[in-house]
Amino acid sequence: MKAFINEYASLSCAGDTEALMEAIYSKKSAISIDTSFMSDTPVGLGKMEYEDFFESLKSVVKRVLENSNLENFHKTLLIVGSSVGGMAESETHYFKDKNYKSIDPSRHAISVISDTLQDAFNFYDTRAISTACTSSANAFLLAKRLIAVGAYENVLVVGADALCYTTVCGFYALSVLSSKACTPFQEGREGMNVAEAIAAVLVQNEQQSDSIELCGVGASSDAYHMTNPDPEAGGAMSSMQNALDDAGLSAKEIDYVNAHGTGTQANDKVEGFGVETLFDNVYVSSTKAITGHTLGAAGALEAIISCEVIKQGLIPPQTNCKDLENSAINIPFESVKKDVNYVLSNSFAFGGNNTSVIFGGLK
Amino acid sequence: MAKKVAINIIAAAKVFAPKKIEDLEDKRIVPKMMLRRRLTRNAKIMLFIADRCGFGGGKIVYGSAFGELQSTVGITDAILNGTQISPTLFQNSVYNSAPSYFSLLNSDKDEIITISSGMKTSLAALKTAALQALTSKERVLCVATECLDIENIEEVNSCSAYLESGAGVILEIAEDEDGAVEIEALREEGVIGSLEALFSLVNMQEKKLCKVFIEL
Repeated sequence: MKAFINEYASLSCAGDTEALMEAIYSKKSAISIDTSFMSDTPVGLGKMEYEDFFESLKSVVKRVLENSNLENFHKTLLIVGSSVGGMAESETHYFKDKNYKSIDPSRHAISVISDTLQDAFNFYDTRAISTACTSSANAFLLAKRLIAVGAYENVLVVGADALCYTTVCGFYALSVLSSKACTPFQEGREGMNVAEAIAAVLVQNEQQSDSIELCGVGASSDAYHMTNPDPEAGGAMSSMQNALDDAGLSAKEIDYVNAHGTGTQANDKVEGFGVETLFDNVYVSSTKAITGHTLGAAGALEAIISCEVIKQGLIPPQTNCKDLENSAINIPFESVKKDVNYVLSNSFAFGGNNTSVIFGGLK
Repeated sequence: MAKKVAINIIAAAKVFAPKKIEDLEDKRIVPKMMLRRRLTRNAKIMLFIADRCGFGGGKIVYGSAFGELQSTVGITDAILNGTQISPTLFQNSVYNSAPSYFSLLNSDKDEIITISSGMKTSLAALKTAALQALTSKERVLCVATECLDIENIEEVNSCSAYLESGAGVILEIAEDEDGAVEIEALREEGVIGSLEALFSLVNMQEKKLCKVFIEL
């Protein structure tokens, strides 16, 4: 049984999906320079505009439901991917009270995302994945397999992560934050931008006129280091090859790689090497120069970007890059108009957790 | 109703203690001191259960409702006190730390999925492990742990008498459904609800009930 992406909606620092794609193609980064998380240290962050993150979450999912062929989600499985869940709320209580008494454990956990959506939409069942920055990419891995074995007809994948002190200050402790908008694949790049996003994608077993096929999923573990990627890109290449094998495609059939491309020294060097080794001059760029790194939401947000690239037939240019570190990879500096049949999207995470997902247009 | 599959439980293990589990045999399981010193408590429990199950590598589905609380508390305390955050604490704070340490220790390059579905965590992990076994036709380790042993946990903990606990099984898809039974509620009194399904499965295995239906 094949899996098709039939509806989606998103909210990021670049706005909704339409505004996001406009920002990507016009190379307008939505990263802002922020001093609210670390007063003495300006950092580039991808901040969304909202009064209540969870109301925005429900609103994005409601938009998917309203535009879908479903009347409700009662026969739909919800799979959430998130790296921090309710951490921001817990921090607010803890920093104010200096104790845990006001913290509701159920609102601290990752499952606060799925519980909030379950209360609002009454899904058949829910699952929440937390594999750091591959969380919602891994949600697609499960969604495709569940549909393939005929377990579900409808799966809603939701990636959601809000900014919090733990991630901003934590990445700063690792010395990988950029003080400006990140510059993926640029020589001498400074680092990444922590960001927040909500992305919801409806995966179904029935094809519609504007469906995008969820063609292949692949995953691997580096077994190398908790935070540094395998310098030989073994894990990254393995997850990309596994996705190609799952889709029944060869590397030369991929038109565009939406890179994990965080803008850190280690990631971009290794990922670039992996793409260079596995593919033959495929177009590759990182949209994190526009959105920042939305952590557990990145897989779902960049799935939506990948679907839009196929629908618009327009390869995204690399924003904020003038001098490539690796000139052997094909980074477009301007948008490229072409028929896009297949897009591969990468997500890599702490623990050496790698996931690649392939999306395909239907002719 | 979603599709059901019958699984065989190949091996099972559980461990729990009111506060700290005393002997997780980490010196034997992780001979390299540098690596052992970095392990989180969840990782030590997870490695112990994997060892008890005789699991040397392959696909892992790990579950934890609350993840790496000790690391998280260390980070938030550092932020509150204006002190430096330890990079090791931050890298250990992600929910997939425990199975990632297994991967490092055993050079296991296979798929790792980490589930965090609140009080349904171990059931959701079992469903995911059954799916992984069904699609790969391989044996899968499904393990879930909770480590709530942080200072002042009593301010928020009203559901668990055991601050450290974990359970795991190695499962495979059964060739047929003959004799398969539904999961019985054989919970361990006082163990946190997020681990209930896996503890029940371990207890079923002890009663020789080793073929079980799982709804995907």
